[in-house]
Amino acid sequence: MDVNDPVTSIATIWPLMVFLLAATGLVIVMIGLSALLGQRHWQRTTGEPFESGMLPTGTARIRFDVKFYLMAMFFVIFDLEAIFIFAWAASVRQLGWFGYIEMLIFVGFLLLALFYLWRVGALEWGTKR
Amino acid sequence: MQSFWLIPALPLAGFLILALGGGRLSRGAAAVVGVGSVGLSAVLTFWAVFAFLAARPEQGAFTQNVWQWIAVADLTPAIAFHVDALTLTMMGVITGVGFFIHLYSVGYMAGETGYARFFAYMNLFVSAMLILVMADNLLLLYLGWEGVGLCSYLLIGFWYRDPANGYAARKAFVVTRAGDTAMAIGLFLLFDRLGTLHIQELMQRAVDTWPAASAMPTIAALLLLGGAVGKSAQLPLQTWLPDAMAGPTPVSALIHAATMVTAGVYLIARTHVLFELAPAALTAVAAIGALTLLLAGFSALCQTDIKRVLAYSTISQIGYMFLALGVGAWSAAIFHLVTHAFFKALLFLGAGAVIHALDGEQELSRMGGLRRELPLTFLTFLAGAASLAALPLITAGFYSKDMIIWEAYAAARGSLIWWFAALGGALLTVVYTFRMFFRVFEGPLQTRVHHAPGVSMTLPLVVLAVLSLTAGFVEMPRTLGGVHLFSTFMAGALPMVQLDPAREGHEWFFQVLSAGLVLLALLVSWRLFRRPIAHRAAGADSPLKAALQRWWLAGWGFDWLYDRLFVRPYIFLARINRNDVIDSGIDQIARGAQTLYRTASATQTGRLRTYAASMALGAALVIALAVWS
Amino acid sequence: MQTADFTALTPLLLLAAAIAAVMLQIALKRSHILTIVLTLAGLIAAMLGVLAVGDMPARQVTPLVTMDRLAFFFIGLILTATAATALLGCRYWEHAVGQCEEYYLLLLVAALGACVLAAAHHFAAFFIGLEILSISLFTLMAFARRRMASVEAGLKYLVLAGISSAFLLFGIALIYADVGSLAFPIWTARLQAAGETVSPLLLIGMGMTVIGVGFKLALVPFHMWTADIYQGAPAPTTAFVATVSKSAMVALLLRLFAPVDFTAEPALFWTLAILAFASMIVGNILALRQDSVKRILAYSSIAHMGYLLVAFLSGGPAAIAATVFYITAYTITVLGAFGVVTVLSRTDADADSMSDFQGLFFSHPWLAGVFMAMLLSLAGIPLTAGFIGKFYAITAGAQGGIWWLIITLVLTSAASLFYYLRIVVAMFSPPLENKTQPPAAGISYSGGLVLTVMTVLLIWVGSAPGPLIDLIGRITQ
Repeated sequence: MDVNDPVTSIATIWPLMVFLLAATGLVIVMIGLSALLGQRHWQRTTGEPFESGMLPTGTARIRFDVKFYLMAMFFVIFDLEAIFIFAWAASVRQLGWFGYIEMLIFVGFLLLALFYLWRVGALEWGTKR
Repeated sequence: MQSFWLIPALPLAGFLILALGGGRLSRGAAAVVGVGSVGLSAVLTFWAVFAFLAARPEQGAFTQNVWQWIAVADLTPAIAFHVDALTLTMMGVITGVGFFIHLYSVGYMAGETGYARFFAYMNLFVSAMLILVMADNLLLLYLGWEGVGLCSYLLIGFWYRDPANGYAARKAFVVTRAGDTAMAIGLFLLFDRLGTLHIQELMQRAVDTWPAASAMPTIAALLLLGGAVGKSAQLPLQTWLPDAMAGPTPVSALIHAATMVTAGVYLIARTHVLFELAPAALTAVAAIGALTLLLAGFSALCQTDIKRVLAYSTISQIGYMFLALGVGAWSAAIFHLVTHAFFKALLFLGAGAVIHALDGEQELSRMGGLRRELPLTFLTFLAGAASLAALPLITAGFYSKDMIIWEAYAAARGSLIWWFAALGGALLTVVYTFRMFFRVFEGPLQTRVHHAPGVSMTLPLVVLAVLSLTAGFVEMPRTLGGVHLFSTFMAGALPMVQLDPAREGHEWFFQVLSAGLVLLALLVSWRLFRRPIAHRAAGADSPLKAALQRWWLAGWGFDWLYDRLFVRPYIFLARINRNDVIDSGIDQIARGAQTLYRTASATQTGRLRTYAASMALGAALVIALAVWS
Repeated sequence: MQTADFTALTPLLLLAAAIAAVMLQIALKRSHILTIVLTLAGLIAAMLGVLAVGDMPARQVTPLVTMDRLAFFFIGLILTATAATALLGCRYWEHAVGQCEEYYLLLLVAALGACVLAAAHHFAAFFIGLEILSISLFTLMAFARRRMASVEAGLKYLVLAGISSAFLLFGIALIYADVGSLAFPIWTARLQAAGETVSPLLLIGMGMTVIGVGFKLALVPFHMWTADIYQGAPAPTTAFVATVSKSAMVALLLRLFAPVDFTAEPALFWTLAILAFASMIVGNILALRQDSVKRILAYSSIAHMGYLLVAFLSGGPAAIAATVFYITAYTITVLGAFGVVTVLSRTDADADSMSDFQGLFFSHPWLAGVFMAMLLSLAGIPLTAGFIGKFYAITAGAQGGIWWLIITLVLTSAASLFYYLRIVVAMFSPPLENKTQPPAAGISYSGGLVLTVMTVLLIWVGSAPGPLIDLIGRITQ
């Protein structure tokens, strides 16, 4: 199949196009409908937290502890690594024992990294020692 | 013979040790390294000579290819050695005489600062000189050639705190450089025409390509002669050698008497095939030799400084070697080179002992009466002087010089003119030698003796004295038994001299004549110079004689002439061109570069956004180029 | 995967094992010495692996990498340079505030990325290798955390490398859109065959690849980061950036563009030629009056990559060999030069300004000698590796007939003598009176070892280049 031929390439990717259009359309419809149908008013407590929530004090631009980011990063990293396991799981039979061993090594590495993080104290919230 | 490379490598290693670790070595260690490396080299050399004599190699030479540097088209410069009889002779002189001079220096330089530096330079010199004579190609030879020039420069200016010494060193370097330039052009020419610099192959190709007496070999030979003339201090480039006496006396002995200055002789002998293709060049060699030996002889007659007498005498003796080369008496030239190395090194070392004893006094007029004060120096100096003056039968100088005088006439290329010049030179030699000798050792004592020479200084004197007297017995003329050890040894490397059959018969007559004249001259100098100057009536000299003396004292005024001919016009031109146009153009380039630098460095703001913008612009440019070019 | 595949991958596997080992060691027990020993052991094992399998016939392992002689040569070069950096680092970090064992871990990871780049055969491998290398480099650059300049260098590199990666990724996407494959050979074949009718999509993709490569090689106009980062990063990292990252990228350059015949694809030629031309000129001009030695070396590296491109662009038979020779000579020289800088530096302040080097000859004559040899090699003075490299580049260029680039090369390298000699002059000038010489503590054995090896290599390659030329000839045939 010649991917460069415009006709065939459109023929192969039309479901993607439909999906894209549908997604965009859905968002437009949701926002548009609420804009059209919803009521609009501006009163004293409109901008305040919902119902009897606490009023915010101070500025939102405060310094978060760097640990938040660290944790977030760990989550993203390990979460992403998990994707590879999914990919393997999808084709576990074709890959056979070889793939299994490969995945063991991969998970082993992940565990090693986790062990390392634990030992260097990256998982502790407070300062170590 | 796989260890040839060690012979120049040992002194080189000595140089490296002394140069890199010199400051940390004790004097004793520096001396051991300096003398030991040359000594080992000498031992290896003599072993090589025995090996050569025991089993003559094919082609008459050992060859060793140590290492090829690069190969670009025809140019394949290699560190490769070609060791034949000629080379072995030179190596023997360099390492043998060199070793004794190093040994002598241990005592002579004992009180000097820069002890390790001295031995470092001397070792480097020996190494470079060995490379010069062992090279199998002209490029490597040229490396050694420039190496010895560098060492000569460094050692003449060894006592660099005195500007005069620095000046002398510079003069030696610049004057020899004039010759070296000619030689370099000669090498280019040979390489261009014949496509190789390998000496043996070059000679073969020269014979195959060029008809005898044609223009090309003559030009090439004359260019090489230019280099030889500069290095060997022959007319017209002889002016640097007397000034080179500013260096320490062992340096004068090793470099400016025994070895380096004979490099020109070696070069011509090494390329004799080329010179034989160019009879005109050979005649030039002979003429330069004859003229130089006479002019330098007259100058030596008038010098007042003991080392300058010896310097002019060296120029004169090398003139003999050139004369011999010019008439095709190759092995006679080399024979004289060897004996000259012995007796002239001896004379310099003896003079050094005298100078050392008198605490740096070099003026002949302030010497005298040292016979009793320095008996050993006296005896050895006498042996050297006798050999230089070629006293018949008992000295080495007699056999070698007589061979040249005879062959200057009898060789196929010889003539009566050459013979007269050589004979006249011999007479002059006797007179100036004994003038110096009597001035130093006879008459009343002028200056007190400070220190007598130690063993390390006297041992070389004795050894060299013995050699100066006996080394001649390896080659004796037919009339005296006909020993031809040297010329047979040399026969593999250099052709035998071609004698003119018509003149051959009169050998004994010429020999008796020259021997008689030498003895007569000795008598004359005895009469003239035995008494010191003060005993003769002062002011009795005629104006003509005084003027002649001044002229000869100044070495025939060559320095004056060159000063007017070259130095002053050059300085004049330089002065005119002080703010020259080309230079200001170059200044503009520099200024432009500075402006560009300022502009360009303005872009280096250190701000990330500038950098990102530059990347974006660059990306646009690259994509534009990719799409539209 | 078969056994032969694993055999071919030996060096990379050993390197990965070394990374795991060092990480485990740090987790179990921190010890600077132990980390160094493990790191070096891993690197040496990988080098032995290269020696053991380096002569195998080329083998493509998975679609991603090809282990051929060229790859093995560059891997060897990268491993050597990494080992040298690690050795230089051990005295440098010894007195660092805080923990420094991770430095070696990151070095190993970066080296692995570089090795992948050197063996890449596919755009995916290219990108993976590049990112492994880059991400480690950010941290390596910012490793001297107490120094603002170091952190700033890391951050700048992070942002700019991100931009260049974005271009690269976009380019890869365009190439995929046009070619339908990410394997290099298919791409180059397409580029070659298309000739005049090549589609703009492919050309733009190619241009963006050039941007990615040009950023790493610091070609003008993607050179802006170089000086700030060379100056700000800790000295061992700078040595690493200047050698490992460059040589890996050169290997990639050869894989990407060497099979393309420049006559069939003038667009590629002109793009690279103009980058080379600009790099030679701008790099040398920027260095002229610079007073920071590290910045001088940075600008000179820009110029040197320009010279290298001249060799590469010649397209003649000698082009690839000349390029490989050049990067090898350059790696040796730069390791030596930054080795001297590192030896003279401490963790809190690198030896950088001209005054730090003034009078070096009198306090450390050997160091001054080594540095002079390295600078002369950079300037291309005979008897050094740099001379042979430049000579080879010019020869290749002359064969290819690209005279305008050769003339630029010759003129700009003549100008470059000025700033190299300025450093030499400073070293031989009398020391400053009121100047506290940087570390008088003496040179560590490890630093001395690196400098000795590099100097010996420099002079050996410079005086007898035959063996290296033969080796490269066998690799590139």
